[in-house]
Amino acid sequence: MQLHSRVFGRGIAALLCASLLMSACGEKKAGGEQRSLDFSRLDAFPSTYSVTQSQPVLIQDATLLTGTGEQLENTDLLLEGGKIVRIGQDLKAPEGALVVDGTGKWVTPGIIDVHSHLGDYPAPSIESSQDGNEMTSPNTAQVWAEHSVWTQDPQFPLALAGGVTTLQILPGSANLFGGRSVTLKNVPGRSVQDMKFPGAPYGLKMACGENPKRVYGGKGTSPSTRMGNVAGYRSAWIDASNYKKKWEDYVEKGGDEPERDLGLETLAGVLNGDILVHNHCYRGEEMAVMMDVADEFGFQISTFHHAVEAYKVADLLAENNVCAAMWADWWGFKHEAFDMTEANIAIVDQAKACAMIHSDSGVSVQHLNEEVAKAMTAGQRAGFDIQPKDAVTWMTLNPAKALGIEAQTGSLEKGKMADVVVWSGNPFSVYTHVDQVFIDGALMYDRFDKKRQPRSDFELGILDAEGERL
Amino acid sequence: MKKLAVFCALALGVLTAGTQAESVLIKGGKVHTLADKGTLESADVLIVDGKVEQVAPTLNVSADRVIDASGKVVTPGVIAPISELGLVEISAASGTNDHAVTGESIGSAFNPLPAYNPKSTLIPFNRAGGVTSAVVFPAISTWDTAAVEAQRVFAGRGFAIKLNGEFDSVEAKDVAQKAYLGETGAQLAGGSRANAFAKVESALSQAREYRDNRAAIRKGDWRELDYSLADLEALQPVINGTEPLLITVNRASDILVVIELAQAFNVKLVVLGAAEGWMVANQLARAQVPVVIDAIDNLPISFSSLGARFDNAALLTKAGVKVAISGPGYASTHNVYLSRQSAGNAVAHGLPYEEALKSISSNVADIFNLDGGTLEKGATADVVVWSGDPLEVTSYPEQVLIDGEPQSLVTRSTRLRDRHLKPGKGSGFGYRH
Repeated sequence: MQLHSRVFGRGIAALLCASLLMSACGEKKAGGEQRSLDFSRLDAFPSTYSVTQSQPVLIQDATLLTGTGEQLENTDLLLEGGKIVRIGQDLKAPEGALVVDGTGKWVTPGIIDVHSHLGDYPAPSIESSQDGNEMTSPNTAQVWAEHSVWTQDPQFPLALAGGVTTLQILPGSANLFGGRSVTLKNVPGRSVQDMKFPGAPYGLKMACGENPKRVYGGKGTSPSTRMGNVAGYRSAWIDASNYKKKWEDYVEKGGDEPERDLGLETLAGVLNGDILVHNHCYRGEEMAVMMDVADEFGFQISTFHHAVEAYKVADLLAENNVCAAMWADWWGFKHEAFDMTEANIAIVDQAKACAMIHSDSGVSVQHLNEEVAKAMTAGQRAGFDIQPKDAVTWMTLNPAKALGIEAQTGSLEKGKMADVVVWSGNPFSVYTHVDQVFIDGALMYDRFDKKRQPRSDFELGILDAEGERL
Repeated sequence: MKKLAVFCALALGVLTAGTQAESVLIKGGKVHTLADKGTLESADVLIVDGKVEQVAPTLNVSADRVIDASGKVVTPGVIAPISELGLVEISAASGTNDHAVTGESIGSAFNPLPAYNPKSTLIPFNRAGGVTSAVVFPAISTWDTAAVEAQRVFAGRGFAIKLNGEFDSVEAKDVAQKAYLGETGAQLAGGSRANAFAKVESALSQAREYRDNRAAIRKGDWRELDYSLADLEALQPVINGTEPLLITVNRASDILVVIELAQAFNVKLVVLGAAEGWMVANQLARAQVPVVIDAIDNLPISFSSLGARFDNAALLTKAGVKVAISGPGYASTHNVYLSRQSAGNAVAHGLPYEEALKSISSNVADIFNLDGGTLEKGATADVVVWSGDPLEVTSYPEQVLIDGEPQSLVTRSTRLRDRHLKPGKGSGFGYRH
């Protein structure tokens, strides 16, 4: 399954430091100042994503869930130049604007799935398309998930029809270090670069628990235990610290240029604060251990993924400023997924930690609103006052924070990317449909217009040479 | 078993007061009878001795227990058409799994019933989700080398349980036989769908041969057959048309092939999967073949399900096919109760509302010949009182009755929640039980 991590970009780290008690923050920031050291290599496979439609959009008289804790009734939302430019009453439509009657409709920020394998484990699932996990060594920090993405995976447009505008594609969880993740805009692309979220920090997938020890222990190699897992992390971070220092010394003192190492470069990018750690980790004990590992080596974990036991350590997560990405109700497939409670997300949220839903599934990625609805209901049944205006953050702003893109997207706020979903009604109902999806202000999906429903190359002529698959 | 006890007591003429459940009156709910009376906006349901005695707008009767259901919704309990409840505790802990076996047998004789554990944690959890009974089937893991080498296409026989967690909660034995054709069958039968088909065909044909020549075959006075006597015995109710044969297929052409096979052997067929069922809905309807589908799975996840789509349930139902909706495959047997979310999604994609309720209750009972699924006089009183619309993701069961008896809705999940509601330092949590 997945990993998540959260590493703070410099700006984000500074922001969080201002508002949170984080001893690690100061140390991190110091590392982050190493400007000349580009371990992250954002420009190696640069984003070629571009907004193609510039028509302004005015959504009128809708119910807005802003993602910042507000529910606004009978409100207009104006999108222009790819950004959210105004939120208010009786806004005037600019010339040539697409006007959407929002009467009876609800509007939310685009859904962000922090844990996806679309493109890397595509549909159809056949032997030759299982590109999501380089299961050849417990440490494959050198691989990049984007290099496996099949952009024509028909699951991308299905997720779009579920309101998903941004996804993090992660390597699988067989390894202690699975490799780099990539954050994508959910748009059709001929190349993965065409889908890459401009400027989004990279993530590093790490995995706790059963998977790495089963996969490698089963081959008679380390790790075969949880303690073997932790020894594996620490050894690698020692190497990464040395690698980072070597490069820092080189920048400072000159001499022979050190040799590049792809795996260590990614780890050094984490130590630098440029790459975010996304850590697949189910158990409370293991999350506590991983937060200490992070302290030992001076990095920050962004997010624990599949955090089935996050509720048990929610206060520790809050204290350490680590997010948790959770399911509403999956459980029992492994021992580490046995202690599930449906109130998990709500308990983490109420403990003031950053809580979110995630899918890890081509099916539930299409229904994250329903998954949030179930988790919200479980929270209400546990006695918490959690309303749609609060719960919507679990699929919008909080995953944006986990990915280090909350300054650009994740909420309906002036100046942010116009990633917006228009729903036929309250999104927390099984009967509600996604009517329109805007990405950077462009209408990328319209339920009422087949011509505005993307299809992947794979789908053409596949079931009917002349007709549509759907 | 309970029924058996009552039957024995009656036969012996010693029916005691102890065997009688209390009477229950559920007052003022919106009642979906899924029977002749349809939906009643506000009605009372009287339950006596574990059966529905009466459903009417107002009943002026007294009862041992009265449940106020005003503002609530009352339905028959959810019935899971396919599950491994009581056979699997933790999927990746082999010691807790009893649903699949590897070996020489083709598998039709495999009966997992003796392995059934009514104390599994999955049972209270799914009961709290509104499931009152379930059909439990064996399965085959296609990633199990031994199973694939054995080329088994029959998984074995299913049974039905009530989710009251009692030791006597098996409701019916030998509910159906399960087999794999299509893509999964091909994986199990050496690489071709055609070989899987040949295996089922020859097993059914030899089961006939066995039926017609039983004495000679048992004496050893007959040609050697390809299947064990136990396997051939297990197929007798299938070829006699008394036990349905549940066959897993998804591709439209595979569905047509199994319809033909079933007709040739006069087998009562149920299609499991049917991702492309909508493409052959009329043929299914004409052959009166019901389907069990995963209505929320619209992924073209294999080349056998390229036509998977959200309105499969709606299109099949419209054509006159009896549809049962299973729990979502991705959530496995641990969450079979989520069939109601799938049914809700099917409604969002065109399935009429009452048909959706039937697809998770009365249709399942009809397909597998079980009690329950309706609220009408004489029906088994498996009843759920919901906080709201049962197909809505924000609703939940407030009362669950099985055979008229109110059930606990406490689960490991709620107990863990209550223990860790406000997580904090120290050892105190260990003393909160």
